[in-house]
Amino acid sequence: MNESLLFLIPLMPLFCAVINMLFGMRLPRLFAEVMAVIGVASAFVLTVLFWGYAEGEGTRAVLFTWLNSGTVDVSFALNFDRLAAPMTLMVTGVATLIHLYAVGYMHKEDDYARFFSLLNLFVFAMLAIVLADNMLVLFLGWEGVGLCSYGLIGFWYRKLENAKAGTKAFLVTRVGDVFLGIALLWLFAVTGTLSISEINAQATSISSGVVLAVSLLLLLGACGKSAQLPLMTWLADAMAGPTPVSALIHAATMVTAGVYLLCRLFPLVSLSPVAMMAITAIGALTAIYAATCAMAQREIKRVLAYSTMSQVGYMFMAVGAGTVAGAMFHLLTHAFFKALLFMTAGCIIHLAGDENDIFKMGGLRRRGPVELFWIFLAGAVCLAGLPLTGGFFSKDGILLALFTHPDPTYKIFWLIGVVTALLTAFYTFRLVYLVFAGEYRGTGHPHSLPLLMRWPLWPLALLGLLGGLFNLPAFVGGGETLHHWYDDLAGRAVTASHEVEWMLVGLAVAIAALGWFAAHRRYRIYQAPTENAVTRFLLNGWYADALVDRLFVRPFTAMARFCSSGCDRSLFDGTLSILAKMASGWGSLLTQMTTGRLTTYLSTFAWGFLILLGWFLLKLVDGGGH
Amino acid sequence: MMIPFGHALAFAAVLFVLGLTCVLLRRQILMILIGVEIMLNAASLVFVAASAYWQQVDGQIFSIMLMAITAAEVAVALAMVVYLWRRKRTLIADDFNGMRG
Repeated sequence: MNESLLFLIPLMPLFCAVINMLFGMRLPRLFAEVMAVIGVASAFVLTVLFWGYAEGEGTRAVLFTWLNSGTVDVSFALNFDRLAAPMTLMVTGVATLIHLYAVGYMHKEDDYARFFSLLNLFVFAMLAIVLADNMLVLFLGWEGVGLCSYGLIGFWYRKLENAKAGTKAFLVTRVGDVFLGIALLWLFAVTGTLSISEINAQATSISSGVVLAVSLLLLLGACGKSAQLPLMTWLADAMAGPTPVSALIHAATMVTAGVYLLCRLFPLVSLSPVAMMAITAIGALTAIYAATCAMAQREIKRVLAYSTMSQVGYMFMAVGAGTVAGAMFHLLTHAFFKALLFMTAGCIIHLAGDENDIFKMGGLRRRGPVELFWIFLAGAVCLAGLPLTGGFFSKDGILLALFTHPDPTYKIFWLIGVVTALLTAFYTFRLVYLVFAGEYRGTGHPHSLPLLMRWPLWPLALLGLLGGLFNLPAFVGGGETLHHWYDDLAGRAVTASHEVEWMLVGLAVAIAALGWFAAHRRYRIYQAPTENAVTRFLLNGWYADALVDRLFVRPFTAMARFCSSGCDRSLFDGTLSILAKMASGWGSLLTQMTTGRLTTYLSTFAWGFLILLGWFLLKLVDGGGH
Repeated sequence: MMIPFGHALAFAAVLFVLGLTCVLLRRQILMILIGVEIMLNAASLVFVAASAYWQQVDGQIFSIMLMAITAAEVAVALAMVVYLWRRKRTLIADDFNGMRG
């Protein structure tokens, strides 16, 4: 097989997106849906078929030369290597299941062609990020996922708040994109190339100050897409989109793009200890911030959105602690169980009659299909990190990497990670108890659940629960498969004595159990939600939106108002209108002379004649004097 | 006996001023036209007097041409006066102010 065929992986979704975009509404509905699913499913099959190409140094495929001017030589190239391959497999696999789910979820939607073409286009853009050989292709995908995310969050744009949420997500992530763009140009200025592998190879020859600055810029770029601390406000609002979108974009794939970017450029980023510390700190702060917010949320999807933020924070901590394998491991398990949780949440919302508020649910265990509870529980135990689930092993690996980091400062981050784990277990089981336990408190009438919304959950539940097998740590007899697969890309090898590992495992088990126990005591029997300053503070996400509003939005609108009414309307328009008024004033003054009365003209004529006569007489007298 | 050139000029000037006053002060279109005729006659008189003074025939030729032109002008002007009367049933010049800005 020719390695150019690798391009089929991203181009199949693109092809189906374009077909749906152009002809979707003219085609039979079934055909459009099948096209959408085939686009991603074929990409998944191709990834499996091409798996061998990723081994060793990976395979580079060039489609065409994109830019060629002077020293700039950028080709549209893919790099299917050991880091990209598992991510590609995850993206296409999860996307296929979510597309199937979406066919069921959107079966009453009229605008299906727009939805499916945007969803496919998103998968294309995401694959462009994952497979990019150079920073420019990566940036193309980076902007592409932002665009599709915008279109899909505001999919039901007739409701103003949905459109606003889409705009907000687009603008906030765009702030990060600007930093990424600066980092990209800076790297090009320093290394003279945009190829990721060459940048990584030359990383050691770049001066440490530049490495630090570029790493921090990359971190800010990653923060935008991954909803990390300064740029996280958009993710909770992004839940305005359809649930399959939340599952695909805002849980499984796009928000992990930032982690993937840092892993891609890990050889560069890891050269600066300060940058690594900053990555860990941002991850830790976001993790605990989002976990506290999740404890007070009332809407099921917002709880999950904050938990996503928190879990991506763990991935950042893993990158900061130097373990790419740990970050990617958590990324993969998280993608499985979070997509699962979101899709199940979609089913739950259907069952509760389009009710989002978990305080108006309850007793859903007996209302819907019986497997729904067990499937949601499977996702929840993964998220809470109960022993032997995928989430348990991946989270434990990250905490171990933080604990064993040579720098003692990382012990603080480890402690934050542990506290976050406790909060995670608590809010996860709070969700489970409020949704499934007790009696039904709502008033909605359940919608029927199409089969297509139910069976894609099973593979994800299995993958989430058994995700630990991908990278089973050595001390429980596992082979650390993922770590060995990444080999020299895996970052720091996390080594610790078995006593330390068992102690941490014991602690994690105790934490998870404690979180479950606390939730069990508080929420087993339903109590009306308490409302006080603290819960309001957490419900509003620490008032981050208000803060951003005060700090940036309001000064910006004030400046815009000044520019528009102060400068443009008063100064420029004012000057122009004064000039115009003067001209028209003169005009109307002059029109008054045109009386249309013959006598006026005649007398003016006579006066003019008299003046001329007088002037000539004066000349005559003057001339006669000489 | 020869009328002195100065007398003729003075008479023509008085005639011209009378005509001009008539043009400026009267509101009736007919009277304005009469004023114009008087002014033209004053001019014609100056031509004749000058012709006699310098013993040149050009002035008299010009004077005869002026009479012809005046006749044509009066014919056109009177026709227009008839039209104006038909339009508005009035011949006051100020009432025809359709060209006002």
